Amino acid sequence: MSNKGDRQKGDSKGQDVRMSNIIAAKAVADTIRTSLGPRGMDKMIQKGEGDVLITNDGATILSQLQVFHPTAQMLVQLSKSQDIEAGDGTTGICVIAGSLLSACSELLNKGIHPTAIAEAFKLSAAKAEEVLVSCAKPVDLLDRASVLDAVNTCLSSKVVHNNADVLAPIAVDAVLSVIDPATATNVDLTDVKIVKQLGGTVDDTELVRGLVLERPAKHSAGGLSKIENAKIALIQFCVSAPKTDMENNVVVTDYTAMDRILREERKYILNICKKIKKSGCNVLLIQKSILRDAYNDLSLHFLAKLDIMVVTDIERTDVEFISRTLHLQPIAHVDSFTPEKLGSCALAEEVSVAGGSSKVVKFTGIVNMGKTITVLMRGTNKLVLDEADRSLHDALCVVRSLVKKRYLIAGGGSPEAECALKLTQWSKTLTGVKSYCARAFAEALEIIPYTLAENAGLNPISIVTELRNRHNAGDFSAGINVRQGVITDMWKEHVVQPLLVNTSEISLATECVGMILKIDDLIAVR
Amino acid sequence: MSAEAVISSEAEVHKGESARMSSFIGAIAIADLVKTTLGPKGMDKILQSVSDRNNSTITITNDGATILKAVPVENPAAKVLVEIAKTQDDTVGDGTTSVTVLCGELLREAEYLIAQHIHPMTIVSGWRQAVKIARQALESAALDNSSDPSAFEDDLLNIARTTLSSKLLNVEKDHFARLAVDAVLRLKGSGNLDYIQVIKKPGGSLSDSFLADGFVLNKSFGIGQPRRVVNAKILIANTPMDTDKIKIYGSRVRVDSMMKIAEIEEAEKQKMRNKCQRIIGHGINCFVNRQLIYNFPEQIFTDAGVVSIEHADFDGIERLAAVTGGEIASTFEHPELVSLGECALIDEIMVGEDKLIRFSGCKSGSACSVILRGASNHLLDEAERSLHDALCVLTETVKETRVVAGGGCMEMLMAQAIDEYLTNAVAMSASEDLAIETKSSGSAGKALLAVASFARALRKLPTYLADNGGYDSTELVAQLKVAHNKGFKTMGLDLFNGCIADMTGLGVKESYQSKLHVLVSAAEASEMILRVDDIIKAAPRRRDHE
Repeated sequence: MSNKGDRQKGDSKGQDVRMSNIIAAKAVADTIRTSLGPRGMDKMIQKGEGDVLITNDGATILSQLQVFHPTAQMLVQLSKSQDIEAGDGTTGICVIAGSLLSACSELLNKGIHPTAIAEAFKLSAAKAEEVLVSCAKPVDLLDRASVLDAVNTCLSSKVVHNNADVLAPIAVDAVLSVIDPATATNVDLTDVKIVKQLGGTVDDTELVRGLVLERPAKHSAGGLSKIENAKIALIQFCVSAPKTDMENNVVVTDYTAMDRILREERKYILNICKKIKKSGCNVLLIQKSILRDAYNDLSLHFLAKLDIMVVTDIERTDVEFISRTLHLQPIAHVDSFTPEKLGSCALAEEVSVAGGSSKVVKFTGIVNMGKTITVLMRGTNKLVLDEADRSLHDALCVVRSLVKKRYLIAGGGSPEAECALKLTQWSKTLTGVKSYCARAFAEALEIIPYTLAENAGLNPISIVTELRNRHNAGDFSAGINVRQGVITDMWKEHVVQPLLVNTSEISLATECVGMILKIDDLIAVR
Repeated sequence: MSAEAVISSEAEVHKGESARMSSFIGAIAIADLVKTTLGPKGMDKILQSVSDRNNSTITITNDGATILKAVPVENPAAKVLVEIAKTQDDTVGDGTTSVTVLCGELLREAEYLIAQHIHPMTIVSGWRQAVKIARQALESAALDNSSDPSAFEDDLLNIARTTLSSKLLNVEKDHFARLAVDAVLRLKGSGNLDYIQVIKKPGGSLSDSFLADGFVLNKSFGIGQPRRVVNAKILIANTPMDTDKIKIYGSRVRVDSMMKIAEIEEAEKQKMRNKCQRIIGHGINCFVNRQLIYNFPEQIFTDAGVVSIEHADFDGIERLAAVTGGEIASTFEHPELVSLGECALIDEIMVGEDKLIRFSGCKSGSACSVILRGASNHLLDEAERSLHDALCVLTETVKETRVVAGGGCMEMLMAQAIDEYLTNAVAMSASEDLAIETKSSGSAGKALLAVASFARALRKLPTYLADNGGYDSTELVAQLKVAHNKGFKTMGLDLFNGCIADMTGLGVKESYQSKLHVLVSAAEASEMILRVDDIIKAAPRRRDHE
């Protein structure tokens, strides 16, 4: 026996554990494989409590799967990481990981040492990244058409692809308006607030340059619903009867004392309301309070009489967003209620959502508006609405990926086909195990065009071989035109995606596969 | 009269042969469990928790100590092995697998010797001689480069690379070795790992991990406060910022009018306002509290131009106090007694989807943070463990600057030294038959068998290294033995090419401290197990049902 070469000695237990790990991980990959691409199908998920979810988003499907097997869990985590890093390509990454694992199982059967495979894969992934970068084109964020193309490609595989022409511009405008396109290297997506309202169709979704609060104004005492030249205050104190942190009792001995207490309460609240009015405020947002009533009927009555529009139950988590958007400072005590803490806007108006029963409050024409934006999302039912929300999130992530790495690459399985070709050529320059593994890696990548074709109902063999052929002839942007079922130039079809999605797909999947490969035992512990 | 007659009927006694047998079996089983994780081609284990199936928390690791800590063991000898792995982890941080495997191998050898009716005490005395010789050999082979900073840095890099190569971070070892060495060198010999903070953020790839200057806190600033503070004076506190409540349950006030309640409320507010004023009176521009800061005090801070960070975890504020040179305060009456933390800049950085606060240019310049990125939480956890091991070994090396060659080289060297001693001893005893006999009362011959067994056990480590790499271990170890016999003292296993090679050339280095500790504690532990002849299991304590 030779002492050269990375062979593994027969350790049947380690072998078995590894195989069962690979099988489990592949099972996860196969579950979502059918939802890849524009002709991918959706999954309906019935949750434990009976809720139904319809989605096409890999990360969402996987997060709902309650998998027990450790490596299956790793794949779920993998798609989550892709979601964080690039936001899109969460299905693709699992499909690639699954395909790499089946390649591994063959390599392992040949007796190649797992760490040798992991190393060779790592090298191949680095090479693949080079190939991807070499066929990417730099993009200017101000080149709206290119960015739109990328977003359209992303949305084309979603349930809401019919509405892509509405959602895509929204996604692009939303991201571009919260960053400075010239200097930004990252986007904080919390700056884009998505407000979901039932009713209407997804086409009615609109971008609001301002703020939308998902709740109606208070009308209980004839409150106002429209204010021009609004002065807005966000308060964190309560406009209601006083309450101490210590437990307190008001001891009432006779009827007159009770009468006095009521009077005092009126006076106390009126005093607060007057102070509010004095600062010139005419729109009041009240933070939700769990310890005591943030407002009561009496205070609403007074505020209505003083012509102040009131919106209540603002969540504490929303305070930061609101204060940045409206350029105001939250006020925690009535004594510090000063005019400079207020924000101002041209119009604060309660509007009823077309086709829906609910009402929202819109603030537009905000003076010194922060770099935030709101999307008012509509949908005919909750399922569509939720899926549209997820799709829009993916679309926003696509734009973010372009901000992070300003390169576009062709879609439609073209980058994977190109990588497969280049890596196969490269593998011929290597010798030994590395070459073998690199070649297997290259072939594994072809799973993407293969699955795309399969899901579109095309003949995967003939499509993939034709694709290979075209790439071999130097046509590196050739990809599968799913709609017509032929191979065409993806740039001409405007099927493009951010480079970051592809590079992170490959590097993350390789990392995860390397980890699964290295496991040879499963130990039960407490 | 046997012990069974006098002890409780529920207690168990294993005696002599059966006791020893159960120790051997237990210890060897533990050693076999972890031996596949040894070396750069070692495999990982999944630890799956059986107690909570629904959450099914899993850990993927290559770290001997982590595996052994998690495995529930009953066998007393196995417990001893788990203990020495833990001690190794605490003192050196690395070599936990090696120590367990060496101990297991020694006991395996002891099993043969005992089968040949050699008394355990004879074996023990033989091992003691062997350890002494091995120690000398190790010491003489150790190199000290501490006088030359750049050579020493190279040493550190090599050690980090060697440690990491057996871990998950293998593929990115150069990146992480650099990172670990930079972090440790910043400590300037203080060896306080508290100054190095590791933050895990899923997403990105392992190679996106980076070393950030200063301290990073996973929190955010209060609303409406500046996102950047230059020349910060920081007050670190652990104090309630809602109200100072009376800690008596059911305390209450009785009043007879609404206005009185309003007054009390105002008084409470005033108290908080005073507290905030006192805090601001420290002349600070940043206030970090372990507990929540409520809206009201936050606004006061905002108005005063002080940034406030609430709900920093306990660990976080302790480190922050350490790195900025501040103290954790909980009363604010005497500003002159409180030392404030200082740093040049506080700003926000974005990692993945989250924003973190960075304190850079701290008073004690040694602080830094490592931000780990990776494909999954499992990966990140393991990466953290690996990095921790590397950092531990490096700080130990900064203290004890000697280094030795890795790749099984030292084990072979020590075994060789023992063999040489044996040859000499046999030659000596042949010529001076009489003298030996009187000196060591006839057991010298038998003790030499034990000495020889020690050498065999040491040679097992390179054997497993080669086995895990999938190479022909018998052939490689034999080649290595020949090389060492010929005097090539730096030859070891090149596990990437499957041949023997000069370890200094490859830069495979290990810390002397770690190697020594492996040798000594494995010998001690196996000696301890060997000396046992009875195992008495105490009767389980009964629960009274009254």
